Amino acid sequence: MSTRSLPGLLPLIALLGLWQLLGSPDSPFFPAPSSWWPALFTRGQGAKIVPAVLDTIRTFGLGLFIATILGVTLGILIGVSRQVGRAVGPTFEFARALPPAAIVPVATLLLGFDEPMKVVVVVLAALWPILLNTSSGVQELPPTLLDTARSLRLSRTRTVFRVLLPSVMPAIVLGIRVATPIALVITLLVEYLTAVNGVGALVGEAQRTFQPARVYALIVIAGLISLIVNSLVRSVEDGVSRRRVGDRL
Amino acid sequence: MSVLVALAVLWEVLVRFKIAEVQFLPAPSEIAAAAQDEILSGEILGRLVHTVGVTALGWGIASVIGMGLGLLLGLSPLAYRYSMTSFEVTRAIPPITFVPAALLIFGFSLKMELVLVIYGGVWPVLINTIGGVRSIPPELRDVGRMLRLSRLETIRKVVLPAALPSVLVGLRLALSLCLVLAIVAEMVGNPAGLGNGLISARQALQPALMFVYVIVAGLLGVALNSTLRTAAKLLLPSNALKELAS
Repeated sequence: MSTRSLPGLLPLIALLGLWQLLGSPDSPFFPAPSSWWPALFTRGQGAKIVPAVLDTIRTFGLGLFIATILGVTLGILIGVSRQVGRAVGPTFEFARALPPAAIVPVATLLLGFDEPMKVVVVVLAALWPILLNTSSGVQELPPTLLDTARSLRLSRTRTVFRVLLPSVMPAIVLGIRVATPIALVITLLVEYLTAVNGVGALVGEAQRTFQPARVYALIVIAGLISLIVNSLVRSVEDGVSRRRVGDRL
Repeated sequence: MSVLVALAVLWEVLVRFKIAEVQFLPAPSEIAAAAQDEILSGEILGRLVHTVGVTALGWGIASVIGMGLGLLLGLSPLAYRYSMTSFEVTRAIPPITFVPAALLIFGFSLKMELVLVIYGGVWPVLINTIGGVRSIPPELRDVGRMLRLSRLETIRKVVLPAALPSVLVGLRLALSLCLVLAIVAEMVGNPAGLGNGLISARQALQPALMFVYVIVAGLLGVALNSTLRTAAKLLLPSNALKELAS
């Protein structure tokens, strides 16, 4: 964050300040911000925070990783072959429009309440932006590129890894950037709905045991995770696109 | 489409002849039977109307708030400078985490569902309106000034049309988000609508019925998306449509 954007924080600071002045720490709805941090550690609950954050990050990371592999593979297949694209079109249209929350009860019934179930739900939600960006990236490649590979008699695997993948890389990274917040939101959602580990489960627990200050504190933690993860992905994207510009020069 | 049918047939065969035995996985024929019962009893229609109603209402309110605030922030550099970072920081907080807070504040009610849907829907509209307004080429505003348009006329005749493609992208993103949040709110809070149907079927261990609701939710998503796409086609010149397709 640059110093130029600092004045923009004023309204948020003013809001929290006002909240602190007007709110009481015991309010059932809006406990004062100063009571949030201590609420993380009351009743010996402090030890749960770090493992929960790690759990959330692991599910999110694993889900995004699998979604990337799957999305890029399927995206290239669909982008290269028009027939495949037409065959799976309606199925994908449906799966993409399916609200991820609706998958959760099915996933818990079929897979049970465990870590793989969480990852499966995250993958099913985060897959689409990566898949669609990859396939449209492949379709928009100049035809001469593949013709060149053919005239150089590159094998199919070499064409994919040496020609196709590097040229659609910016599209893939864009897809991953779009998928990142989705994967994080769905991780928290599935944790909240199923109460299986992670920050989402902790927020749900704090809500059910009527600890509003703790709920707000965990919301702040979720926000921090999201800010950090998103800025990481953005810097990776900047790195990739800068290298692309360098290639052209 | 044929792939869908083939998948359904394969699924039916696998389950019917117990080739792949998965506990709680109903065959498509069982799902169809459950769907028929649920449609005939009118249960599904009532839930569908509820979810669509809340989603549409919340989306509408979120759009008005998002576009209004977005216009203000997009047009006034002062307002932008002294508030944008606050919006960026707040936006980063996953809206899902506000579900527990909303439950504590509003209880298990329609109000809680509506507040969540509006909150989630505001962000994409706001961000895309700001982006659309701020990326208007300065020459275009100069033209407005040269024609001595009043401030309101400039907004109506120059700013809004130029920002429209970007605003529509925001509106579309917001609609799918509103649907997701409505269903989440129904699953955990407000006992009504498709989300509640899903959870009730899950708790009653009626997998076939649960799949019915999953399918309805997916079809609703498809229907809302294509409605908005058609509306955009009517509203926009063809060159601006490409942006929406992504």
